[in-house]
Amino acid sequence: MVGLVILAYVAVAAFELYLWAERPWKKVVVYLAFFAAAGTLAALLTLNKYLKVPEPLGALQRWIAKLWQGGGSK
Amino acid sequence: MDRQAVAGRWQQVREVVPDNQGLVLVLLFVVGNTLVFALGALAGPDLWLAFLVATAIALPMVLLVARIRSLMGGRDLAAGLEYLFGRWPSRAVALGYGVLTWRLSCYVMSDVTNFVQAVALPTTPQFVVASVLALLMLWAAKEGVEVIARFSVVMAKVVLLVLAVTFLLMLSEVDIGEFLPVMYDGPKPVIMGALQLLDFPFLEVIVLFWIFDCFQSKNSPYKVFLPGFLIAAFVLMIVACTSMAVVGARRYGFYYFPVWTAVARINVSTFLTRLEAIIGVTFAIGSFVKMAVCLLAASRCFAYALGFKDYRFLVTPLALGAIPGSQWFLSNVLEMERSATRTHRAGELALQVVLPIVLWLVAELRSRKSKKHVKKGEASGS
Repeated sequence: MVGLVILAYVAVAAFELYLWAERPWKKVVVYLAFFAAAGTLAALLTLNKYLKVPEPLGALQRWIAKLWQGGGSK
Repeated sequence: MDRQAVAGRWQQVREVVPDNQGLVLVLLFVVGNTLVFALGALAGPDLWLAFLVATAIALPMVLLVARIRSLMGGRDLAAGLEYLFGRWPSRAVALGYGVLTWRLSCYVMSDVTNFVQAVALPTTPQFVVASVLALLMLWAAKEGVEVIARFSVVMAKVVLLVLAVTFLLMLSEVDIGEFLPVMYDGPKPVIMGALQLLDFPFLEVIVLFWIFDCFQSKNSPYKVFLPGFLIAAFVLMIVACTSMAVVGARRYGFYYFPVWTAVARINVSTFLTRLEAIIGVTFAIGSFVKMAVCLLAASRCFAYALGFKDYRFLVTPLALGAIPGSQWFLSNVLEMERSATRTHRAGELALQVVLPIVLWLVAELRSRKSKKHVKKGEASGS
């Protein structure tokens, strides 16, 4: 299944790149990087449906929630 | 016209949206996918008060967004950002908003897939619906903001007509007593309800900052953002309050889709019944516009952050990334309901409130500085 998902993303990327009139290398690199990220996410989710979402501001979120529970008195 | 010429035209043309079309786009974006959810449910019978408070709080933020766009003068988005904030700070900000808007497009897609699975297609895998939606929003985003705005103008008539008819038909089921007593539990439920509304959908208006490339005049941002937002807030208030008065203040928060339930109760002489499907139509139209706008904003932000003038080449990978993204952020209907009714979230608070205020202050300072320089130059020249 993972192979199929990756194949689908590769096929779409290849087809769209083929349709481009010009292929400046900078654009192509960025385009492929974004596609790789999207394909990787799809593959990881196929392997693990409950993949954890990173929370870079999780500590701040917990702090606000703590303040809120105290009704702003803390 | 050959493909090369088309690609060249896309890169060169400045996308100008007329004020009236921009206004409707803002309206449809805010109404978007929010219609069916239990908006401001924590306010209970004081839902209308929560709406008024949330609108009053969100209004300065909307004005602030309009002000920043107005300070850009007649410049397009990229040139305006560099004029106000400098190249690298603008790119860093765009990167942050790129992540926010892409995530929002995933949320909206997840809302639609979960809604469709809950009410219509329970055995269809969500990624099938998500893939169709991704193709649609990809197409719309590639066409650009002008096409989305024109589409909004056509579809807003359908949405508003459906909502008006539904409202009139629901009036026979309304119990005004559900709004009483006013503020029986004090101001806390009102504030909590207002915070829910601010989180979803009022402060999401910041996304619209990134989709308009150029405006017709310096005052156009005000003419677009302000009435668009106010009309949307009014429409949402009417729909949500009517639904609450039909299903009851206590039960309003228990349903995943209270508007759907309220409309299902319409029964005109046993002739006109089961009208909830038309709410599904408005939900689909609004969600499509919102998804397309979010994808367009994300593509613009990432393209600008990475130093590209053309954003269209990023639309496809971002749209295809939104398919797994919609399953990643919200995997089931319970998480979807929680995300639609939460009161605050640190990351969004930073990007929807704190950063716009900082940007506005910087923009005001830099704009005044550059005006002083111009005046000095004129004085020394004469």
